[in-house]
Amino acid sequence: MADVIPLGEAKSLVARARAGDMGALEQLYRAHERGVYTLARRLTKTAEDAEDVLQETFLEVCRSLGSWRGDGSLWGWIRTIAASKALMRYRREKVRAADSLDETGEPEGGTYVDVPLRMDLEAALERLSEKSRAVVWLHDVEGYTHEEIAELMGMTTSFSKSQLARAHKKLREWLGGEALA
Amino acid sequence: MSGRHGTPEELLALRDGEGSGWMREHITTCAACAAELRGMEQMRARLRALPAFHPPRDRWEKIAPLVRQERERRRVRSWAGIATAAALSGLTFLALRPGTSDIAAERAALQRVMAQSSALEQALQAIGPGTHSMPAEAAMVAAELQDRLSQLDVRLASPQLTQRSQALELWRERAGVLSALVDVHSTRAAAASF
Repeated sequence: MADVIPLGEAKSLVARARAGDMGALEQLYRAHERGVYTLARRLTKTAEDAEDVLQETFLEVCRSLGSWRGDGSLWGWIRTIAASKALMRYRREKVRAADSLDETGEPEGGTYVDVPLRMDLEAALERLSEKSRAVVWLHDVEGYTHEEIAELMGMTTSFSKSQLARAHKKLREWLGGEALA
Repeated sequence: MSGRHGTPEELLALRDGEGSGWMREHITTCAACAAELRGMEQMRARLRALPAFHPPRDRWEKIAPLVRQERERRRVRSWAGIATAAALSGLTFLALRPGTSDIAAERAALQRVMAQSSALEQALQAIGPGTHSMPAEAAMVAAELQDRLSQLDVRLASPQLTQRSQALELWRERAGVLSALVDVHSTRAAAASF
């Protein structure tokens, strides 16, 4: 998603929101809710989690409006807050569940009998582990670099690269395309 | 063609414009790797073409009251902190300096400007910033004033502030900033009522 509000207008909306104008805040919310919610849906497990991320993101946006300098993309700034909120949930759950997040039903080196011959892309994406899905979405769709993803996820750059390769391999397998071994 | 294919990582790096010299050379002669690269490009294009999700509920109805509450809490906290700091500073001044007529005059001036600041704060609250929309330029001014107010509050709450004359200056500036904020917001409120 590109910036939905031109920079000049974004600056003025942010200034009004900082001055306490709830109407301006609502405009900011309306302009970005779909982008934030879509990103959150891709990075979290459920629609409810994504709704929570949407709420947490905008509360944080309201708190931190003063830290947006107005010299870069407003959507880029909001998106990073959203990604960070979504990944924070992933980290919290990881601590709770001692990381049981490897590919859903995807045994390492084994065969998985319940995989349909072909899936649509939505279903295949859903089937990826949270970390693989997060990496492939952040990199291929949102345009984050491996370095930025590593920083957001608290992992290494090589982790991000290998997760991306893994995700591509899985997606193409599940979608019926051939991938090089 | 060399004896091996590019790894998925190497091909993805190439797709992202960061491929090694070997990979760039190899792709020109290896049909399998070229096909794999095209598959990766197509996958990215397909991912980008997926439709956006729409939030199922109007979450703003839930977020807006939380924002208002939080802003109000911050405002009260900031004011309470300043008042406490001012009271403590007053005690410090009393302890540090024996009473003289100059000090008494300064103290009286400090009390006056603090009372003025408090009255302006109440006036600002009565206008209700956030209940009226405002033109962009006025909003910029209000945001700058709000920032200045926050900076002054931080300095006033600092334990290093031990000079009564310095505190007096800061409180005067605070009252001035608040007065300007009241002007900006009251003009906006008046315009909104037309």
